Amino acid sequence: MASEQLLDDLVASLAPVRPRNPRREGMVLALVGMVELGLYLMLGHHRPDLMMAMHMPSFWWKAGCLGGLTIIGMVTALRSFDPTASPRPGLRWMALLLGAALVSGWAIDIANAGGGMLRARLMWRHGIDCMIAIVILSIPVAVALGLMMRRGAPTDRKGSALAIGLAGAGWGAFVFIFQCPHDDPFYVAVWYGAGAAAVALIWWLILPRVTRW
Amino acid sequence: MKEAEPDEWGSLMAAAQAGNGGAYRRLLAEIRGWLTRYYASRLPPAHVDDAVQEALIAIHEKRHSYDPARPFRPWLAAIARYKWVDRLRAMSRQKTEELPDDTAIGDHESAVTSAALLGQLMTTLKPAQAEAIRLVKLEGYSVEEASARTGQSGSLIKVNIHRGLARLAALIQRQSDGE
Repeated sequence: MASEQLLDDLVASLAPVRPRNPRREGMVLALVGMVELGLYLMLGHHRPDLMMAMHMPSFWWKAGCLGGLTIIGMVTALRSFDPTASPRPGLRWMALLLGAALVSGWAIDIANAGGGMLRARLMWRHGIDCMIAIVILSIPVAVALGLMMRRGAPTDRKGSALAIGLAGAGWGAFVFIFQCPHDDPFYVAVWYGAGAAAVALIWWLILPRVTRW
Repeated sequence: MKEAEPDEWGSLMAAAQAGNGGAYRRLLAEIRGWLTRYYASRLPPAHVDDAVQEALIAIHEKRHSYDPARPFRPWLAAIARYKWVDRLRAMSRQKTEELPDDTAIGDHESAVTSAALLGQLMTTLKPAQAEAIRLVKLEGYSVEEASARTGQSGSLIKVNIHRGLARLAALIQRQSDGE
């Protein structure tokens, strides 16, 4: 049996705590995201043809898919910080969303009479810049979620970390669409996908190690 | 003292979250008994005490993650299960030391065989993995002795222990996701 001394020590170190509140955490996240987006736009990081781009289906395809990924990722991550909740159902929803995003992007590409030289459409120099921007822009939301994960009690740390990575990537890419001049679904699928995968991988590798409890 | 009903544990934890040491002391004493029974049916006897202590410390550190509006038992069970999986993983990483012949130990076979749940879980493993775990981790044989008894090479015994325990941990994790 665990010693009486241990129980005495635990009781002696008891201090009042405020129970975790996922709604409050969600509001903090929303605030972090809004501040980031506001600052980014205020610093002039927006494409000159933004108003025109907003009339194109591919812009709303990007915004809808990335916004959806962010919201599902944040909800999944926040829920998973409760020890009784698993992130796996949320991750499956995200996988479904990513599949739907690829299919709908392909449909938009066909409607736009896409095709031609795929290699030329990749524009890899721009693509790598986009990827790096997404990784950087994902940091505020992912760090905020990581801190919340440390405070919470996730019982599937790898799953929670993956949800955080995808939520951060989704938000980073969402912010970036206001600057990125590329609307080609093929380009977006490749480079945004690579950026999101890099972000998810980074946090999936880091967070389980620093949130062990 | 009569043990509180499980639902009452939620009230005790809510009081503890507000800083009530008396309620917390009573809660810890009662869940210590629950945790001991929980781990006794899932871990080799030598690991039970440590697992209980780790779980109590985890409960203490994460007490703010309990929502007083919800039942206490699932929260407690989730933490206990998490620490169980953690311990299984740690066991799979642990180096097995050979016991010296002059160390007197009592026969703990009955305690080992009473770990019914662990035994049931082990039926899901490949026979070679279950045999290696049973001999080395539960019955205390050295890797060499287990090798001689099973005909598996020493390194295969180690690999089977490692893979078997990892598989058990993954299985428990999956069961947890499905619930």
